[in-house]
Amino acid sequence: MQEITDKVFDNFDQSLRDFVDSAEITKQDKATKLTSQVDVLSLTRNGLSHLYSKSAVLDEAGIFKGTAWDEPDKLIPFFVKGTLKAGHPSSSFEILSELRLLGYATGVNTSSKISQEEAQDFLEEVMVHNLEFALREPSEETRSIMSDREMKKAFNLFSFIMTEIDLSGVYGKLVEEIRLKCAQRPILTRKTRELISLVNHRFDTSGNSEVDREMRTFINAIYAPSEGSVKCPDYASYQKFVDQSDQRTLAEEAHAMGELMNETGLVSGYHAILLRRLVNDYKDLVPLCLDLNDRGIAEWEKFNELVSNIIQETVSTDNCQCIYGLTRMLGANLFSRRPVRVGLENLRKIKINSQVEKRIEKSLINPDAEVTILQYLIGGTIKVLGQPLGVGQGNNPTCQSARGISMWSQHSPAKLIDMIITVATQNNLMMRFENQDLVSNHLGKGLVDKLDYNLDVVSVLLVPHLDKIYNEMMKRSYGRADDPHKWVNPAMYGQWIQIGFASCYDYLSNSILDFEGFLRIFYAAFHLDYNGHHEMVYPNPVGIFITSNKGDMVGFHAVSLLRVNKDDEGVMRAYFLNPNNEGRQDWGQEIRPSVHGSGEKPGESSLPFHQFAARVYAFHYNCLEIKDRLNIVPLELLKKVEDLAHSSWGKSYVWNQQTKLW
Amino acid sequence: MAKCFALIGWSLPVIESMQKLGKPYVVVSLPDFEPYANENDIPFVPYQLDEWSDTSNSLDLLEQLKPFDVDVAVPLYEETVEWAGALNSIYRGDPRVLNRAFLFRNKAMMKRKALIGGLRVGLFEEVYNKEGVKAFMKRLNQANLQLEGEEDSWVHIKPFASAGTVGHRLLKSMSDIDDKCEDGDFPCLAESHLPGREFSCEAFIHKGKIRFLNITEYVKLGFSNFIPEGRYLESKRDLIHKHVQKLVDIFGIEYGMVHPEWFLTENDELNFGETACRIPGGHILELCSKSYEFDALAAFVVSHDPNATEEELNAIFPDDSFKPRNYHGNVMIYPHKRRFSKLEIPEELNNEPYFVEHTLVPPLEGQKLDADRDGFGNHFGTINFKGEDPDRMTELLKHYQTVDFYV
Repeated sequence: MQEITDKVFDNFDQSLRDFVDSAEITKQDKATKLTSQVDVLSLTRNGLSHLYSKSAVLDEAGIFKGTAWDEPDKLIPFFVKGTLKAGHPSSSFEILSELRLLGYATGVNTSSKISQEEAQDFLEEVMVHNLEFALREPSEETRSIMSDREMKKAFNLFSFIMTEIDLSGVYGKLVEEIRLKCAQRPILTRKTRELISLVNHRFDTSGNSEVDREMRTFINAIYAPSEGSVKCPDYASYQKFVDQSDQRTLAEEAHAMGELMNETGLVSGYHAILLRRLVNDYKDLVPLCLDLNDRGIAEWEKFNELVSNIIQETVSTDNCQCIYGLTRMLGANLFSRRPVRVGLENLRKIKINSQVEKRIEKSLINPDAEVTILQYLIGGTIKVLGQPLGVGQGNNPTCQSARGISMWSQHSPAKLIDMIITVATQNNLMMRFENQDLVSNHLGKGLVDKLDYNLDVVSVLLVPHLDKIYNEMMKRSYGRADDPHKWVNPAMYGQWIQIGFASCYDYLSNSILDFEGFLRIFYAAFHLDYNGHHEMVYPNPVGIFITSNKGDMVGFHAVSLLRVNKDDEGVMRAYFLNPNNEGRQDWGQEIRPSVHGSGEKPGESSLPFHQFAARVYAFHYNCLEIKDRLNIVPLELLKKVEDLAHSSWGKSYVWNQQTKLW
Repeated sequence: MAKCFALIGWSLPVIESMQKLGKPYVVVSLPDFEPYANENDIPFVPYQLDEWSDTSNSLDLLEQLKPFDVDVAVPLYEETVEWAGALNSIYRGDPRVLNRAFLFRNKAMMKRKALIGGLRVGLFEEVYNKEGVKAFMKRLNQANLQLEGEEDSWVHIKPFASAGTVGHRLLKSMSDIDDKCEDGDFPCLAESHLPGREFSCEAFIHKGKIRFLNITEYVKLGFSNFIPEGRYLESKRDLIHKHVQKLVDIFGIEYGMVHPEWFLTENDELNFGETACRIPGGHILELCSKSYEFDALAAFVVSHDPNATEEELNAIFPDDSFKPRNYHGNVMIYPHKRRFSKLEIPEELNNEPYFVEHTLVPPLEGQKLDADRDGFGNHFGTINFKGEDPDRMTELLKHYQTVDFYV
């Protein structure tokens, strides 16, 4: 974190004195100036502590006079996010206000207007409403509205509050957040681990409640996954322990760790030590240690030589999370595919380009000294192959690239490995678009300005290139009087994408044209009741409108529609991949994608079919097959969806009811 | 000390200074400000200052100010200079005070007065149309012994009575006159281009003597300045002081503040540009207060008071021996693009030890610049700096003037 020079503090203190001395009539003017310094100070941690130390003085001197923050007892926690998003000066006032309340909540300062408990309650509520800032995982909406600078301020504020405040009131919420995250089985577990560590350090989890027990499972998954690991405070002593243990003890260790891994999707460093020992000396225990299913066991028996080599070469304590990927790979019989085996063999032998090495290094936080970048890359490849739905875009506007990686991993793993090898060795990538070769290194900037390296290794490797190529394809397709994705998606993702394409937005008339006809196709192509019960085979790149929790238009987003099925309660649902990896989303109109509990596979999001349809603006389909089915979709169903669309994002557009020849 | 000051115009910082000073005052300004004044217990006389009629004139205003026992009038901006002049000529029993106010409001008259008194000024003339400007430029070319094919002499035109740079045009050639001048510009003052380094100073005058002289270093006119002056100008302080006192003597100024602009040549000659007698723009007195650690606004008001005693003046102004500890400077930020959607504070500013504060606000949705802005237009906010090294200050101000804050 960047430090602030003492000069900046001196300047602030001087301005603060001027403010305190100023007459009522110029206070507001001077307060605005002062917030420009708050703006700068809130970018750093020591800046925030300085502000915190002055918060009571500022409050008493009337910094909030004449503003919405004047009466601390009348503030509403729910509004905090809105003002943070509004940018400076609002966000700077908001940060000051939280710091002042923090002072009252911790008892460092006292106020005649608000009690310690009230301040504490308020901040707890604020925390719960703003977990995206506390966890540094802004939603799509937030990212489209806030500048990097403003996000940094918000992140800083919440990490500061978290270290200063008593968090017991938000315990249950945090556990729920961890549960939802793990349920999605993301490849990148860094944030989940941070959150678990936070709860472990800040809360008493020894109780007997359901929440406590659940939380302990998560904590154990990382810190103490077995009896042996409980006894060994560090990896070195655990290494000694497994070296000296007999087969029975090792079997118990393997069983405990394997189960916990499959239950949470989290792997501990101990697991890596154990697995390497088993691969060396007790191969029969490996399936137990990986908690393999029947298919996985069969796969292991057939290819244990290759898999053993990969484990020996790749798995380390810091790289441990790839063990879960390996389990999933074995369970999906990926090793039975010759191209995958060959690809992995090739990958093991490459020499990585030095710039690529630097890029990957940048994404690692505390890399093990003895683990090479190639090992990290192979580990990353295993994770992506094992968990295709765990790919996320991080804080990058690159949902398209993430969607591509996920799709190739599912349907063309060998192609993905090949692409990884090309980029890793050449730091370049080539694709063909409409008979022209696009070479990423010859192309201009993509959507990403500055890559957020909080990504899995494969994404760090591929996204910069995919992003440029995607952007170039888009540029070449603009101005064709239809959505560029119509041409870009099939070219970018491959032959799995249907050629037919429907978009409800009409470029010529700049309006939403024949939404009813558009929906009719969507239902006839995907809804099982109207498409002849044809389940989807391949993911479908779908463009959706992102709306705020009030239903207002926010922006566009790329997701993949994966399958349509009835859930246990008989509701027809659309299951999709949102590369955003968010558990809690609220798109307004009670449309809240769920990630867990409605038949979702780990990594899937889902919505009742009609709610999903109400946010779609573009999709691919097989135009030859739907013709006969269009008329069986009932009109009142379409009207219901159209109403939802019309009264949300639809308010931002002109609607044209003319019939379109699709 | 004056029984009561009438502040003509509207300025919250000046009112604040008067409240802190604890001297009686009354604000005379447009009726629009009355509700605010009443709400904040500011003594107030609403007056239609933009009108001159049977019901709106200095004698009428004089009557209205009688209940407040006013004996000194202080103009807060350019357009109220005559009002204050008229009142003060009555309070002091000296009709010439009003004439002097007119002098400050007419740039041609001002130049003539300076010329008579022996200050160096350029060639100047009142012009009434484009032809007049062309004739002026032609005579200037002749005087400068122009040869065939050489560039024309530069000519400036300015309205007689506008503040600062409003309406000021630089004409570099005959064709510029056709391109840049509009009929609405005339009549106005045309003058030759003065060589030298431009700077301004603020001289607080009491009983005809300079009580305190501030020199402001312009880094770029209309964009950035700092106080006190940099090393070079500081070395010329005595010379400047002498010339300002000469100006004060020539104009016969007894009280208040003058804010002349000068051009200093390499041969240490000072050319007189123009002068005003109101609070200068560019937040200059704010910077001056910070650097010299006194209340320059209160000092401005008090220096108008003929009855102020030595003790009272000494209590307000800094000692002669006072040496500022820091340079205070600012740069006014204008958007560089015609269309912009957000305010972006560059990273480098975050950790700049000289940075103090800014008043920039994000643009309104869809806001864009008017095509026909005048002078320098309105700036979107100011960035204030403070530090010990004038060269570093110059560098910073130059740099941030080129940075795009609105993108």
